[in-house]
Amino acid sequence: MKRGKHQDVFTERLPAKAAPDAKQLRKLAGDWLKQRRADAELSQADLAARLGLKYYTFISQVENGFSRVPTEIMGAWASELGLEPAAFARHLLMYYEPELHRLLFGAERK
Amino acid sequence: MSVVAFERKLNSGEWSERELGTILAALDKALARGREWETGATEAGDVQFYLLGPLPDQACELCVSRVGRSYILEDGTGRLLFEHRNLDLVALHAKAAVPSTSWVMVRAITLWCAIRSTLHEKAEPWLVEGEELFVQFVPQLAAFA
Repeated sequence: MKRGKHQDVFTERLPAKAAPDAKQLRKLAGDWLKQRRADAELSQADLAARLGLKYYTFISQVENGFSRVPTEIMGAWASELGLEPAAFARHLLMYYEPELHRLLFGAERK
Repeated sequence: MSVVAFERKLNSGEWSERELGTILAALDKALARGREWETGATEAGDVQFYLLGPLPDQACELCVSRVGRSYILEDGTGRLLFEHRNLDLVALHAKAAVPSTSWVMVRAITLWCAIRSTLHEKAEPWLVEGEELFVQFVPQLAAFA
């Protein structure tokens, strides 16, 4: 699904499903990241190179939902995808730490 | 008729049984401790093997990827641990890199600390009370002696 350039990419919500587990949430985060990378017209190799990674295999690891975006490169990851780092981190927190996200931001629009 | 020889992309698409067998044999102890594994691929079709941590999080602890003719070993944070063309060597490094903390041991230590802390909280007032009594009565007992 292609998005308009200025369409809000942070409007996606978690599926209305009772407490998905950490693994499922990481998969959802990975799908979201993959879509954002596609929007930025970058390959996994491009993104890895821009993040200073020797191999792009870690990008795949994250996008396949097996690992998280490490906090120390979250800002750079967001910038390379053309996204605002704070909004990017907040959106990922919804998947990685849903309870913390709920406590910080409540049940407002993600 | 001449045939142009294209370089064959080595073992692309999926892990061979031998490759998987090598990795699983190296990680057998880790897998026996409640870990699971899955496979996947990069967008370029390079295969990946993920060793997942214990429940409930099941985050990736180690990842072995085959890119071209090389095998790449990374941890779950993307740190490159080892790379080589020889999978046996990579599997050996993977075996050594498995986090060895026993969760049973961690839980046992946590439980022991909790019990000790509770006992300490309950016993401390008695000890203080006993000490005060002792301080009060010792001079009197000494006087009688």
